Amino acid sequence: MNQPPTVQCRRDFLTHHALGMGSVALATLLRQDRLLATPTDIPRGQQTFNLLPKQAHFAPRAKAMISLFMHGGPAHMELTDPKPELNRLAGSTYEGDIQYSFIKRASKRLLGSRWKFKKRGQCGTEISELLPNIAGIVDDICLIRSMHTGYNGHEVSIRYMHSGIPGITGRPTVGSWLLYGLGSETDNLPAYIVMTDPGGHPVDSTHNWSNGWMPTLFQGTVLRPKEPRILNLDAPQHLRGNVQVHNLQFLNTLNQRHLTSHPGERDLEARIASYELAARMQTAAKEALDISRETAATHALYGLDDNATREYGTRCLIARRMVERGVRFVQLFLNGQPWDNHNNIKNSLPAACKRTDKPAAALVTDLKQRGLLETTIVHWGGEIGRLPVTEGNADSGGRDHNGQGFSTWLAGGGIKAGITYGETDEVGHRAAVDRVTPNDYQATLLHLFGIDHKKLVFHHNGQKQTLTNQRAAQVVSKILQHG
Amino acid sequence: MRNALHPLILTALWTASLPAAEPRELQFERDIRPLLKIHCLDCHGAIKEKKGGLDLRLRRLMAQGGESGPAIIAGNPQKSRLLKRIRLGEMPPGETKMPPEAIDIIARWIAAGAPTARPEPDKLEEGLGVTPEERSYWAFQPIASTEAPRTPDAARIRNPIDAFLHARQQSKGLQFAEDADRVTLIHRVYLDLIGLPPTPQQVVAFVHDQRPGAYERLLDRVLDSPHYGERWGRHWLDVAGYADSEGYSNDDPVRPYAYKFRDYVIQSFNHDLPFDQFIQEQLAGDEMIRQPFKNMPAEDIRRLTATGFLRMAVDGTGSVNNDESRNQMVADTIKIVSSSLLGLSVGCARCHDHRYDPISHDDYHRLRAVFEPAFDWKNWKQPAGRRVSLYTDDDIAQRDKINKEAQTLESARNNKQNEFIQVALNKEYDRYDDPLKTQLQAAKKTPGNKRTDKQKKLLKDYPNLNVSGGNLYQYNQGHADQIKKLNADIAKVKSAIPVEDFLRVTTETTGNTPQTFLFYRGDHRQPQHEVKPGGLTVTAPLGQRLTIADNNSTTPFSGRRLAYAKWLTNGQHPLVARVLVNRVWMHHFGRGIVNTPGEFGKLGTLPTHPQLLDWMARFFMQQDWSLKQLHRVMMNSTAYRQASVRNPQSDHIDSGNEYYWHKTVRRLDAEIIRDRILTVSGQIDTRMHGTPAGVKTDTSGQTVVAGSKRRSIYVQARRTQPAALLQVFDAPVMTVNCDKRERSTVASQSLMLMNSDTVLAYAGAFADRVNLEAGGSVDSKSLYGLAVTFDPMAYLTARHPWSYGSGAILAADGNSPAGVKFTPYPHYDKKQKRWQGGEKVPENPLGWSFVSATGGHPNGPDSCAIRRWTAPRTGALTVKGTIAHGADEGDGVQATLYSSRLGTQGVWEVHHRDVQFESTFMVEPGDTIDMIVSERTNHSHDSFRLQYTVELMESKSGVLSSWNSEKDFDGPQPASAINVRAPLLAQAVYAWKQAYGRVPSHQEVQLSAEYLQMQLELLMAQAHDNPPRQAITNYCQALISSNEFLYSD
Repeated sequence: MNQPPTVQCRRDFLTHHALGMGSVALATLLRQDRLLATPTDIPRGQQTFNLLPKQAHFAPRAKAMISLFMHGGPAHMELTDPKPELNRLAGSTYEGDIQYSFIKRASKRLLGSRWKFKKRGQCGTEISELLPNIAGIVDDICLIRSMHTGYNGHEVSIRYMHSGIPGITGRPTVGSWLLYGLGSETDNLPAYIVMTDPGGHPVDSTHNWSNGWMPTLFQGTVLRPKEPRILNLDAPQHLRGNVQVHNLQFLNTLNQRHLTSHPGERDLEARIASYELAARMQTAAKEALDISRETAATHALYGLDDNATREYGTRCLIARRMVERGVRFVQLFLNGQPWDNHNNIKNSLPAACKRTDKPAAALVTDLKQRGLLETTIVHWGGEIGRLPVTEGNADSGGRDHNGQGFSTWLAGGGIKAGITYGETDEVGHRAAVDRVTPNDYQATLLHLFGIDHKKLVFHHNGQKQTLTNQRAAQVVSKILQHG
Repeated sequence: MRNALHPLILTALWTASLPAAEPRELQFERDIRPLLKIHCLDCHGAIKEKKGGLDLRLRRLMAQGGESGPAIIAGNPQKSRLLKRIRLGEMPPGETKMPPEAIDIIARWIAAGAPTARPEPDKLEEGLGVTPEERSYWAFQPIASTEAPRTPDAARIRNPIDAFLHARQQSKGLQFAEDADRVTLIHRVYLDLIGLPPTPQQVVAFVHDQRPGAYERLLDRVLDSPHYGERWGRHWLDVAGYADSEGYSNDDPVRPYAYKFRDYVIQSFNHDLPFDQFIQEQLAGDEMIRQPFKNMPAEDIRRLTATGFLRMAVDGTGSVNNDESRNQMVADTIKIVSSSLLGLSVGCARCHDHRYDPISHDDYHRLRAVFEPAFDWKNWKQPAGRRVSLYTDDDIAQRDKINKEAQTLESARNNKQNEFIQVALNKEYDRYDDPLKTQLQAAKKTPGNKRTDKQKKLLKDYPNLNVSGGNLYQYNQGHADQIKKLNADIAKVKSAIPVEDFLRVTTETTGNTPQTFLFYRGDHRQPQHEVKPGGLTVTAPLGQRLTIADNNSTTPFSGRRLAYAKWLTNGQHPLVARVLVNRVWMHHFGRGIVNTPGEFGKLGTLPTHPQLLDWMARFFMQQDWSLKQLHRVMMNSTAYRQASVRNPQSDHIDSGNEYYWHKTVRRLDAEIIRDRILTVSGQIDTRMHGTPAGVKTDTSGQTVVAGSKRRSIYVQARRTQPAALLQVFDAPVMTVNCDKRERSTVASQSLMLMNSDTVLAYAGAFADRVNLEAGGSVDSKSLYGLAVTFDPMAYLTARHPWSYGSGAILAADGNSPAGVKFTPYPHYDKKQKRWQGGEKVPENPLGWSFVSATGGHPNGPDSCAIRRWTAPRTGALTVKGTIAHGADEGDGVQATLYSSRLGTQGVWEVHHRDVQFESTFMVEPGDTIDMIVSERTNHSHDSFRLQYTVELMESKSGVLSSWNSEKDFDGPQPASAINVRAPLLAQAVYAWKQAYGRVPSHQEVQLSAEYLQMQLELLMAQAHDNPPRQAITNYCQALISSNEFLYSD
């Protein structure tokens, strides 16, 4: 049938249809295109907000981060922190003080690990048989065995990990701070991406990616667990392509005319530019989400050929593609809290491992082979660990919450590889040596991104706020490559 | 919770207030004590037990020192122990150290002899108290009586507001912009006051109102609109933290009666309820009415509903009812009260003395004690238990009467049912002979728990005896229907029982006056001394802190909240009126005079126009706290009426418009955007009040309003499920409350406007509206002789140019040219997918004649099988294809290609073989090109197969289009949905007027015409079902997505 009328490319339409106001809009858009991008300094005072790249305080090691958040409290003594003494004392009564969350089922009977540990890799770090794939990358990671929130509850510790103060909601999360401090490396994709589980939201729901009192610009964008992963990305079929391009041209014409009568109104200019950005996101996001272009070997690496790992593996792979395209911060969540093994730890823990072990290890391997691990931090860990004593029946029961000591691992982005850091006591109850608090963890992350956590300040209602909230926080220099 | 501030920052803020250049004598009270308060006084002053016996609250106490000797030696910093320990990093203990700048100030002060501003008192009360320096902060000063400055330049000074602003402008060489034009003004007033646009008629009426006072009359009219309360009530709901759900946990249970508070707020604003009363009712409405709360008159219900204000905070105690969730709810409620009414963040003082403002840990708990009897965490009531029923004694009497009536009916129904069951059973027994029959009867008669095992087994073996009301229909449908009828009668009677309605309120339990204890570090597990109810020390003159009796003996309840509310609104409070007028100002002008509306303390910003703020606060109170009077004075000012135009010179001086030299352009709030779209698209449902309009998750997975077109204030505000369109435009999702909304500009807003089902549906409705209404309502002059052309018939033909029928080529005679007699087949067989003469072949008038996608059959000389193609455009046509006849029998068929203009273009005979054909000739629009397949001499075995393409090379453009007889084959086309009721450009002009409230200019009409013409072409090119509707829809979408629509200037 008819040949569709042709529509000029974007730059043409800007110069031709802007009715003499092209230069203003063009400057805005080119800045988005980064042709004119000059990094600005990290904001120090009250100002307008944007996602333009900003100069770090000092030379950064990391450009991006992928956090594999393990909700519920992975049992470190079964996975990452071997405790021979606990195994030896299994069944006997724990002599120390202990705090329980579930008093009714609580006991002081020490519970040994059912699973065996082995030395792995060159470095010889001991990892449990439950994590055979993570065991395969020990030479690339730094395993911290002395995490400490001091609180056994989930929410209180989750909020501490994400936003700096135990138990307080309504504050910005790590991703928000990174965006605020450094801006975005991509103009076409959301710079802070959250990937939720098809089974539903994690515990504490949207607080996990809250922008708190920062502008919504710095909020995590949730990729849906199924298609369409980004809402409103596409028009219905009959409006796509030329029809929509032409619509946007017309809208732009209307807006440019309106701007002529309101010269100097930057918000009006910004909105004109935001339509352009939206249009570019349509293409870029789709491309970034299309994993069909990955090789069969990559699919296999992430476990996409196995029902048990396909879903989580897909998200890990998408996370890598996002980081590759300049996304600053990606965080993956599981539904509810699969690591919260109060009951039936015997079966529920292996299930959680099975689902995540291979994809998590694949992510590190894949980033490394692409040279991206150098500048990308990978984080694996939850908000708490678990107690050394039995909760409920020794056979069918599990372990209660423990924020006094637990493990987390980090890789890449300037993190020293093939080491362990810190220790829990002999039964794995409390972080005993080189304790790392969530604030230390946050200060260290910001440091790797070239930011001094004390100097990245946001003004809120007259108060100057920081991620670590002026709490005692130290960069853990021993886990840095160039500490 | 620990202090949220870094000492470095605190010091920086503190020293920033010192004049930088002129060196002045450091004074203990002004310069040193604030530093010590931040770093030291927690342990060395605030509490009774001073660490090391050292008290740093006074200079003389410092000199006196503690267990290890004097802390300072005046004139000798080196020997001063205080400084030494600070420098060594021993003090303060912990990670937070005193910054060098602060240490330096202390050293210089000691070196200068450690002077004080005045002689120090001999005695000191416990705690930190409030120093004169702290008390002198502007926000804690009484509201001053200020006179507007006199100004000779009277032309632009409409009222005192202008005089105040003008005075400051002059100092900078700035001046007000010209008044805005009337079209702009009426939009500004409507959107500001009621959050809805004026109709085009209202705009015209205002523009042409030549009588003096047109603007003032406009204000009066709009202030009288019932929609006023919906707009300004929304502002209050923001600070109150209104939500329709409890929050706290992921399941976020719904608050079914919260909406009554929302309606109370709307009504209060509409009636201009004096704001002092409004505050009193919200804090203590329950204490203002008689108890018990039964058979209440409307006025009492209204006041009780007001106390819903104190129930807006997140309340997890319905699901997780523990000490934590209870105390969290209390703390959040205090936060809402203090930020909404006091403009202070007292939250810091929950754990320790406020490091900045003179709000002590005790002060916080005094405030808490005001609310303790209502929110007694030791004696907690869960949300459901706090409801007050509106059931009156009359309702109860009526309910009992109806229930009694229903009982009679029910027992009659039961008797009847038992009777029917017995009838059914008897019939069943009759199927069996004795002794089985007797055994079954006996087993059935024996009560269930007394049956023998044998009987039980027997009944199990004969399940058909288990007759009940539920399965009676299986035995006798007639009987079952009779019972059903009786049940319906009962239900009908019961439906008259009055529905029990509830209020979500705050009340106290009679005689319950719990003690309040100061919580060490805010931890309820560490109670310290008892604290009595009262006000914040610094908000009253020295020595006059509000103290409230534990229990007011004249009422059954404590009376604490009412006493507090009356004190807040007695006209003497330094903050309440300032905070309120500042908020109203912010909503009218885009920024507050204090730009941190919820923080008037040291941590907030200073007022840009403190005298104006005080003048307005006094005016407000003098006008009996009338908000509408406050609107009038603000909106009558030149400052409000001026145009929103910047100029480079003034921009250079004050780009942030702190001096109000122009009106600011502002993006509309989320609710106004949605409401405005609903209004211009003609869909808005303006019903007020009542249960919220629900939300749902749409197919794409986002939360949307479930169908309702009511104003956004009525959309259910679920904390975990905010409506996407509202949320993306910064409607608050309440965690506590919202002092000030963000106005973000992000791509997700654009994507929402471009692609979301919600917005596309709104645009479609807008298009339907203009299609219906534009006809006759657009003056042809406003089209400037322009038009958009679209011919629906031609388009439909082009889209599906095929038709199918029977007939024959007519012989040419002398008078008329040869032609084709073509009668469309009357019937399409959906199953066989073919056009034919009737339901059955050959039992119909056309016999065997039919046409299918791949072939057909002729029937005699008059009922040939004809495929007709109608030409949409001028061009060269090539018809090319294959005809096949399979049977060996008979003599085959003949195909004739016939142009209505040119006659026969080819004849092909075929018998038991395939024939390929091709023919090229010219066509004009409307020419019919028929492929006529006829029998030859023999009537039988005339089935044929036929497939061909039609290619049209357009003469003008050279564009090639093609059709295919087999692929295009289809059944009946839907009756045309293309229904253009008004010329398309008239529709566009009408839509423009609705959206923008003004007539488009010539150039704008021309742009619209060009756009529509191009859209039509694009849509036609993709064979869209309905190009004109889609083009207008897209046009409407552009209008409602444009800046002129989304912003107010």
